[in-house]
Amino acid sequence: MASFLRHYGSLIGMAAIVVFFWIALPDTFMTLRNWLNISQQLSMLIVVAVTMTVVMVMGDFDLSVGAMASLSGVVAAVLFAQGLPVPVALAVALAVGLLGGIANGVLVSLIGILPFVATLATMTMFSGAAFLVSGGKTIFGRDIPQEFADFARSGLPLGTWGGNLVVLPALTLVAAVVTLLVWIVLEHTIYGRRLYAIGGNADAARLAGVKVAQLRLSAFAFTGMGAALAGIMYASRVASANPVQGDGLMLTAIAAVFLGMTATRDGQPNVLATVAGVVTLGVMDNGLTQLQVDSYVRQVLVGAIILLAVSISALGRRAIRLR
Amino acid sequence: MPELRLSGIVKTFGPARALDRAALSLRGGEVHALMGENGAGKSTLIRILAGLESADSGEVTLDGALLRLGSPDLAKTAGFQFLHQENHVVPALSVAENMHLSRPYPQRFGLVHWTKLRTAAVDALGQLGASHIDARSVMGSLGAGDQMLVRIAATLLDDGDAPWAYVMDEPTAALSGAEAERLFKAIAALKATGAAILYVSHRMDEVMRLADRITVLRDGAHVATRDRAATNRDKIIRDMTGRDMTDLFPRHTATSGPPALLVRDLRAGGLGPLSFAVAEGEILGVAGLSGSGREVLLRALIGAVTRAGDLQLRGVPLAANPAGAWAQGLAYVPPERRTEGVMPRRALAETIALPHLARLSRLGFVQRRKTAGLVRRLAQDVRLKASGPDQPIAELSGGNQQKVLFARALAGDPAILLLDEPTRGVDVGAKFDIYTLIRDLAARGTAVIVASSDLPELIGLSDRIAILNAGRISQILPADGLTEAALLTACYQKES
Ligand SMILES: Nc1ncnc2c1ncn2[C@@H]1O[C@H](COP(=O)(O)OP(=O)(O)OP(=O)(O)O)[C@@H](O)[C@H]1O
Ligand SMILES: [Mg+2]
Repeated sequence: MASFLRHYGSLIGMAAIVVFFWIALPDTFMTLRNWLNISQQLSMLIVVAVTMTVVMVMGDFDLSVGAMASLSGVVAAVLFAQGLPVPVALAVALAVGLLGGIANGVLVSLIGILPFVATLATMTMFSGAAFLVSGGKTIFGRDIPQEFADFARSGLPLGTWGGNLVVLPALTLVAAVVTLLVWIVLEHTIYGRRLYAIGGNADAARLAGVKVAQLRLSAFAFTGMGAALAGIMYASRVASANPVQGDGLMLTAIAAVFLGMTATRDGQPNVLATVAGVVTLGVMDNGLTQLQVDSYVRQVLVGAIILLAVSISALGRRAIRLR
Repeated sequence: MPELRLSGIVKTFGPARALDRAALSLRGGEVHALMGENGAGKSTLIRILAGLESADSGEVTLDGALLRLGSPDLAKTAGFQFLHQENHVVPALSVAENMHLSRPYPQRFGLVHWTKLRTAAVDALGQLGASHIDARSVMGSLGAGDQMLVRIAATLLDDGDAPWAYVMDEPTAALSGAEAERLFKAIAALKATGAAILYVSHRMDEVMRLADRITVLRDGAHVATRDRAATNRDKIIRDMTGRDMTDLFPRHTATSGPPALLVRDLRAGGLGPLSFAVAEGEILGVAGLSGSGREVLLRALIGAVTRAGDLQLRGVPLAANPAGAWAQGLAYVPPERRTEGVMPRRALAETIALPHLARLSRLGFVQRRKTAGLVRRLAQDVRLKASGPDQPIAELSGGNQQKVLFARALAGDPAILLLDEPTRGVDVGAKFDIYTLIRDLAARGTAVIVASSDLPELIGLSDRIAILNAGRISQILPADGLTEAALLTACYQKES
């Protein structure tokens, strides 16, 4: 029983949260429309959290993802405003993410700065750059091409239900593709298994022939790209870009990975668990909003629930001491 | 004389039974050896005594009175002092501080009394005859042998309440002969004061020399406790394994293949210049006192430390980093399994598969079936005792963790097998299996280089033995007919 709780406690907790809102909001919560809505709202967070998982698997993390999302959003918007074609602007914005990620990787793996310090510094830099690029203003309206803004509103028609056309939002689709991709890479490729090995014991991995420095660098590049993609998705969704709009993603993404880790058997980061973590946080946000809970109270509640989950799993694991 | 008795101790981990009515008695003034195969439950029993693990059932009495265990503090009050099997040190702290980790720092005016801390450490090191270790130096800068001496010295620290029982779990596994001698002297001194020493080791000769009584566990159960005079090596092995073991070392098969590895003017961290060659199918032993460069040589060959020189593998220049070296067919068993070898929380199968992932995958995708097959086969070859391929390595017994590292080096017949203390902590029977596997591999053309502080192992296993002295090879001797004494003398001799 104890071990059952230890292994599945978090999942049960997550399910309990869903059931709670189902009962509290009988008409609006458990509807396809609401869930599609949640999935769209969460799509950016999923992309950031899932690519964050790539570095967290190695025991590292990246504080600069939020700032990078903001930066890539304004970079794309500024290029739109200059009249560049949409694909070119997006490619440049993604390239900024890649370069920023590589910069993080170089600092962490080649120069040997702690990820906390390195990405804290680059976070500040990316954030400053976002203000510089945008001139501190929000870019919106005619500067944003219609086709770009339309993308977030489009989707894949799934059929009709109850007389309404059900559409899978395009952003949800992007998040799903990214999740699938990262899941395959981490769980089924040599690359992913080596990242897990680095997380297990970096020295041992190196002596066993793993190119630790290169892999760490590339993983940060991966995360940087993910952040940039999320920033673009965000800009499309709100059809505008300002230099702080992605900043909030970072803390929530890290929280989601940690929340997910409490649900895995070995207590280590894992893509599907991360998604479960994101969904839990998103569901709470959605449900509490619908219940018209004050947004400050909401923050306190969400923080408390994260702590609760992590504490329960830490207590459960205390038994499994290292020898 | 105090007497400690443990009886009917049962300890299960999930479905696995680590201890199954184990029993032991320990009297003041004796050295009591605790023996058993890897995974027999020795360390678990000790951890229960130390209060790090709690028994499911069983009874512990001290002089007839029931003893309450369950926390390290209780164990300390009961007068026990422990040296656990796995190396827990804080590399960034000084030697003196590491020695005080599990006890109160000496204080003055509510602040740490640094001079007293240091003199206490210096005294304990001196008592062990290890005064060459500077108590102020940083723990991480010491070699494995010296770190072990520090940990042993820490048990000898005098902090007022002298313990009556010292429990040492494989203290000599990382020590050279000379270092072990110092430990034996310290043990004799403790014994003379009336203290009891519970001693775990897989080295039969030292057990026969030190122990007054010997208790053997098999699969967690008590098999026998005998006086040393009433038993012998073969009897103990039979108690441990249930089978007879005659010759420990497999026959040498004469070999003179083409050179597999050619080393010219190798230099690395105080080592060299060195030049030597190893032939295909040959087993080259590497002997040397601590500080002779033995610790660096294999690291340099696998490319884990920066090196200079001309190294050729079958005529091709050898990569100077571990990734390249493994890819060219080198395989390496590092000396420190805990810090350099295993991924403690991850499944043991992952540690085994890690260097072979490229071969186990297609288009970058790892093939699960193939990986599982390899792991299963290797685990069988080394007789790994584990609940399954997904068991986290930290849950295996020390010797079984070592077998995991050895198994991984065997996969796919490496061109060169580099072994640094390959049987550290491995039981007698399993050692025999490992020697046989090494021989078989050599017979199929693998060149083997084995560095070891275990002289009988070097002599029995090697074809030739290279003696390192002050970073240079002073001589290379044929192992056939070499005696331990002669080898040791050679280790002390400068270049002739
Ligand atoms: N935390 C744990 N979880 C699961 N199994 C465990 C755990 N700790 C020990 N075991 C199992 O208990 C058995 C006994 O282990 P123990 O470490 O006591 O062996 P040992 O006699 O000290 O062996 P060695 O000579 O290799 O050090 C092993 O099979 C081991 O896998
Ligand atoms: Mg043990």
